[in-house]
Amino acid sequence: MSDAELTTPFRQRAGSAMKDEFLQEALTIATTKFIGLRREAFAGFPEGEALRDRARAIKEATLQHLDRHLETLIANVERLGGHVHFATTPAEARSIVVDIARRTGARMAVKAKSMATEEIHLNEALEAAGVTPVETDLGEYIIQLAHERPSHIIAPAIHKTKGQVAELFTRELKRPAEPDPEALTRIARAELREKFLQADLGITGANFAVADTGTVVLVTNEGNGRMVTSLPRVHVAVMGVEKVVPSFTDLMVFLAILAKSATGQKLSVYTSLVQGPRRAGELEGPEEFHLVLLDGGRIAQIGGPLREALSCLRCGACLNVCPVYRQIGGHAYGYTYPGPIGILLTAMLEGAPAVRDLAHASSLCGACVDACPVRIDIPRMLIELRREVDDEKLAPWTERVAFALLTKLLQNPRLYRFAAKAGRVLQRPFARDGRISRLPLPFGEWTRTRDLPPVASRTFQERWASDKDLRA
Amino acid sequence: MTTRAEFLERIREQVRMSPGRSPASSARRPQHPAAEAETIRRELVERWPETLEAFRREFEGVAGVFHRTASIDVVPAIVARIAHERQAREVVTWHSAALGADLAPALGACGLDVHPMPAAEPSGGAERERLRTLAARADLGLTGVDLAIAETGTLVLVSGAGRPRSTSLLPPCHIAVFDRTALVESLRQAGVFLEAWHRDGRPPAGGSAINFITGPSRTADIELTLTRGVHGPKEVHAIFVEQPIRG
Amino acid sequence: MTARRASLMVTCLGDLFFPEVGVSIVRLLRKLGVAVDVPADQTCCGLPLFNSGYRGDAAAVARRTVALFKESEYVVVPSGSCAWMVKHEYPGLMADTAVGPEARELAARTHELSQFLVRVLGATEFTAAVPGRVTYHDSCHLLRGLHESESPRMLLGKLRGAELVPLPGADECCGFGGSFAVRLPEVSSQILAKKLANVESTGAGCLVACDAGCLMQMNGGLKRAKSRVRALHLAELLDGGR
Repeated sequence: MSDAELTTPFRQRAGSAMKDEFLQEALTIATTKFIGLRREAFAGFPEGEALRDRARAIKEATLQHLDRHLETLIANVERLGGHVHFATTPAEARSIVVDIARRTGARMAVKAKSMATEEIHLNEALEAAGVTPVETDLGEYIIQLAHERPSHIIAPAIHKTKGQVAELFTRELKRPAEPDPEALTRIARAELREKFLQADLGITGANFAVADTGTVVLVTNEGNGRMVTSLPRVHVAVMGVEKVVPSFTDLMVFLAILAKSATGQKLSVYTSLVQGPRRAGELEGPEEFHLVLLDGGRIAQIGGPLREALSCLRCGACLNVCPVYRQIGGHAYGYTYPGPIGILLTAMLEGAPAVRDLAHASSLCGACVDACPVRIDIPRMLIELRREVDDEKLAPWTERVAFALLTKLLQNPRLYRFAAKAGRVLQRPFARDGRISRLPLPFGEWTRTRDLPPVASRTFQERWASDKDLRA
Repeated sequence: MTTRAEFLERIREQVRMSPGRSPASSARRPQHPAAEAETIRRELVERWPETLEAFRREFEGVAGVFHRTASIDVVPAIVARIAHERQAREVVTWHSAALGADLAPALGACGLDVHPMPAAEPSGGAERERLRTLAARADLGLTGVDLAIAETGTLVLVSGAGRPRSTSLLPPCHIAVFDRTALVESLRQAGVFLEAWHRDGRPPAGGSAINFITGPSRTADIELTLTRGVHGPKEVHAIFVEQPIRG
Repeated sequence: MTARRASLMVTCLGDLFFPEVGVSIVRLLRKLGVAVDVPADQTCCGLPLFNSGYRGDAAAVARRTVALFKESEYVVVPSGSCAWMVKHEYPGLMADTAVGPEARELAARTHELSQFLVRVLGATEFTAAVPGRVTYHDSCHLLRGLHESESPRMLLGKLRGAELVPLPGADECCGFGGSFAVRLPEVSSQILAKKLANVESTGAGCLVACDAGCLMQMNGGLKRAKSRVRALHLAELLDGGR
């Protein structure tokens, strides 16, 4: 999303999304389907709950010695003939990749779906350097042709109809396309197959990296991850530092729950374990392999309040169950990572001020924690972010005053009783038949769509104090 | 530019100041993975029919096509039938050493154009390009299998000399041949083999990629409509050979 | 285990907007042989402050509550969210203060109403105040915070004169979320609309919940839509057959 779009307040962005009828239907269908698939997958997998705990414990243990695990990973990648780079900022990560592209004379880069490269806005940088980036995940490809951003972590184009995709293909690829997913997929296969064979550079993220063998792990359903890591001369993987796991034994624990959480599959179609450049005797595989380790705000959270969010596997399960995401979709959030986990990741990458409003885009219902394969306590951290927003005095002064008053009132029973009485007087013009249907702002935000019960003529405590029958 | 030392030092600093909060432990790794892998194999000598049945169920569950035959000698006929049903002729195969048997003559006798991949690295770029083009044009790709995971219906293929990655990736139809020695029950057991290959054991090949393949390539990116064969094969066949392939 | 005495933590919403819920609880418990007291000068558990990130303020309000209920043997709370606040967050909020141990004790002695009835008193036989078809909405904090979905269903399932029918998406949020309901009213209302469509689809005449926040939200929507469905607190429905 552009900065101009971001200047629209979040509430308005959410409002527009809720007026988009197709988006609404697509969101309901997609999230409901994903919820059902996930539920079924775990219902038939009794050991799943224990594995989720194991997975979380592994993430935590890895964070406790992240320095050591990264050193091991680096040593092993280099032992295998790969190169490791270090990027503190997105800009640094971009320039590392662009330099590799320049040095190797790359003209075209094929990309497997990667949130990390979305996060650093790599495509724009490649284009500026004269390298054509081609997204090869079907959803991402559609999004790229449409010059949009993904709206879901694992289903980037769920906001598009097959009709829209057909129009897009007809216009951008100059190929007449029917609005049929099967036919559209065939067109994309043919278009992208050529690119895979032509491209000089393959760019991926990493779902995991296994420290003790220097392995980068890519999970895809389409096979584009395999293409991108097998066919071009050079492979660059961009990876957040938190993606490392110690061993293959650990990796298996994650593989057993990742796809089930994301799409309800027992395993995604392709899990590719890539270990450095092509070796002697091999027909394919890159001549050069580069691993870019990305900080981008993650490192500061190892000891920070968002530490738990470093365990995120990017499965998207929390998006599907989030009542807010289900109404507004991914774009309204305004940043690379949508949904409840996205708010935390945005705060991690962009700083707390960026989520001043987003921190409140949650009813704290906790459905995300239940769905998260590693049980990240997202609501707890959202509250923490709200606190940070308050502490930094980023919240509007009216709100801060209101909450200061509320605190006074709740600490002083006399004031509390007085407020109840005052409420009864003030509500008189608005209360009819035991309900209030219209109030001035800010309470009017409530009564726009809902009635409000009036303050009772006698509060419970008043009745208890005066009503002997009740006390007896 | 950030140097490695700076980068790692910042992580070290954070690690020092961060207390562990929730329970933390990495998975317990096998002490002697090669020995443990051997034990798994030995135990499966008894249980392989159940494991194979579980594999078949899961593999078919992910739209794989399962075949079973008595001996490797019958495999070319099965491949030929699959080819003929699809009016296909061009077959790329792993090298005979990687497959465990030389099937090229028999496949050729069935009327197929067979292109076995070389056992050694191609001598130059042009040859590499030619072989890749063969794979890209082929209708069928015939490979072996290093592990078949029953829990998920997954075929694990290790790349290396004579066992290119493209054979199982570029043709629209992938056919994999395996026997009971490849069977494991679970992802956990597969993990033991991975550990063994990388530590005290011997990997099946010296390549730089291990691929877990669970059914044909798929996507649901357009209106969540499940569509197969978007980049990888549209079809995956697994042929189980009852008599161990390598005698 | 039988409780002889219990203190009612009526909660701010219960006190101000739903006094009849408190009355029903007092009557119910008394019928079960439990003497009820209501410590004076109650205000709020502090959850609204806590959820909006005003942690220090929430702790100050919480300290009052801990002091008020210091002598109580059992504390019964009609809202899952407030019960969760006391049980789940109080100990942490006051961990490093002099009242830390008291906060932990209070957490252990505090029970949400349905849990108190079923798990402490073992009382599951009641008569419906409103006969007919009822359906149950899981409030988020009770379900996912206190991991309770069975007790209310058991009570409703055995309720004389009532027929419990399942609510599609019963475990989905109603869109209340405290200040969320007025910060993002459009989103909150749309979540509510979907919830109420599910409620209407059950054909139930009565929607039951165990949280004043959800009831305020859902009742607000039902009344605005002039629905014939009434949203009641569990205690109100159990309080029949007088």
